Amino acid sequence: MVHWLALALPFAYLGVLVGIMASFSRLYRQNKARKAASLAPWFGPHLQRDLYLSLLHIEPDEKTPRVPESILKAALLRRATEDIHRIISIRNTKSALAALLQRGSVGDDLWQRFQRAEKEIEEELRDVVNEANAFSPNWGATIFQSANEMASNQMIRKRMDELQAQKDSERQWWDHRKASIESDFMNELDRDAATANSAPPAKTAPATSTRVSDDDTVLVEAGGPADKGQSGKNKKKKGKN
Amino acid sequence: MDLETFNPVPITLDPTTKALSSTSPTPDTKLLTELTTLNALHKSLLASDAPNSVPPPPVPVNPRRSAQIQKLRESGNTAFRKNSHSEAIKMYSLGITMALGRPLWEPSGLVREELCQLYANRAQAYMALRSWPEGAVDARCSVELKKVQNAKAWWRRGKCLLEMGRVGEAREWVGEALEFEGVEQDLVALMEEIEGKEKGGRK
Repeated sequence: MVHWLALALPFAYLGVLVGIMASFSRLYRQNKARKAASLAPWFGPHLQRDLYLSLLHIEPDEKTPRVPESILKAALLRRATEDIHRIISIRNTKSALAALLQRGSVGDDLWQRFQRAEKEIEEELRDVVNEANAFSPNWGATIFQSANEMASNQMIRKRMDELQAQKDSERQWWDHRKASIESDFMNELDRDAATANSAPPAKTAPATSTRVSDDDTVLVEAGGPADKGQSGKNKKKKGKN
Repeated sequence: MDLETFNPVPITLDPTTKALSSTSPTPDTKLLTELTTLNALHKSLLASDAPNSVPPPPVPVNPRRSAQIQKLRESGNTAFRKNSHSEAIKMYSLGITMALGRPLWEPSGLVREELCQLYANRAQAYMALRSWPEGAVDARCSVELKKVQNAKAWWRRGKCLLEMGRVGEAREWVGEALEFEGVEQDLVALMEEIEGKEKGGRK
């Protein structure tokens, strides 16, 4: 025979205990979720996604026609390309951030923001695949391959444009430089002629600028007028011996 | 951010050209560049003969453009051998424009490979004309596209720098080249030349 009355107290005690723990855990989790939601997002606004969804929501009326599907497809491709950039950045960051977190170099907040970004990007990818499949069956399977190539192709083109843009300034620099070398050379020739004509005044001439006088002696040793490159080569050979 | 919410962007569609533009009186530059890119992508999507205007998977590649680029490079090489260097430069430049004009969704590895050769060849043609600055930039482009097994391009920029009298830069460049390419005969010889010049310059 069980004494129900006697057992009531322990059961009530257990009930209260579980109740307190449950409400505490709920409050704690709510608090944590609110804090996480108030953290700044990892990435900035997703312009390509906004653009795509805005296009979807343009209502056709007499002034604006229906948005053609090809534009939507292009916008979706742009969105997928931006997603590729984000995935790459997430992947590159992850291991470094985990290591920093373990060492305690970064706070928990940062890690939470990161995890939220990771979850968001997963949803974003799924959404893009679904949209792509809605446009054309099986496009979802290849859209990210295309987007990946687009991302790296854009990088190549940007870098090449940057480098090719240097051509003009390099050309200008070289023209300038060539002109100054030529004028130097002409001056040297003139001075050479002067030294050949009248030997004694040459002794006073070097005093005006020592640098030029160095070049002069080399030219005389080399046995006559030669351009800068030529005299450089002569010097090189001497240096080797 | 959940799946349904988004920030509406002020845009409008031109009914005849189908080009998008911003309606906001003070559009920010990010949006403007994005719209330009998007319009360009839209055009290339329409221009490609892709079915349903959905870009095909990166492989297989449409062989027509590859064949054209190949042909331009070969005619450039022929012109170079005939010593008509400016003609060769023209051919290579056409090839480069064509390779850069590939639709963006085509394999980037292929673009890299084609551009790397074309830039290296054009650098050589520029060098034959003693246009050192152009040669140096083109050779650098080629190297940036492909760092290993591209000793010729490394060598060409080094040589151009040396010819322009930028000995220090040339030395640094060839030093890096030797790290990437290992002991390559031409590069080692160029390094010796640079070192000789440095000594000569200091003397």
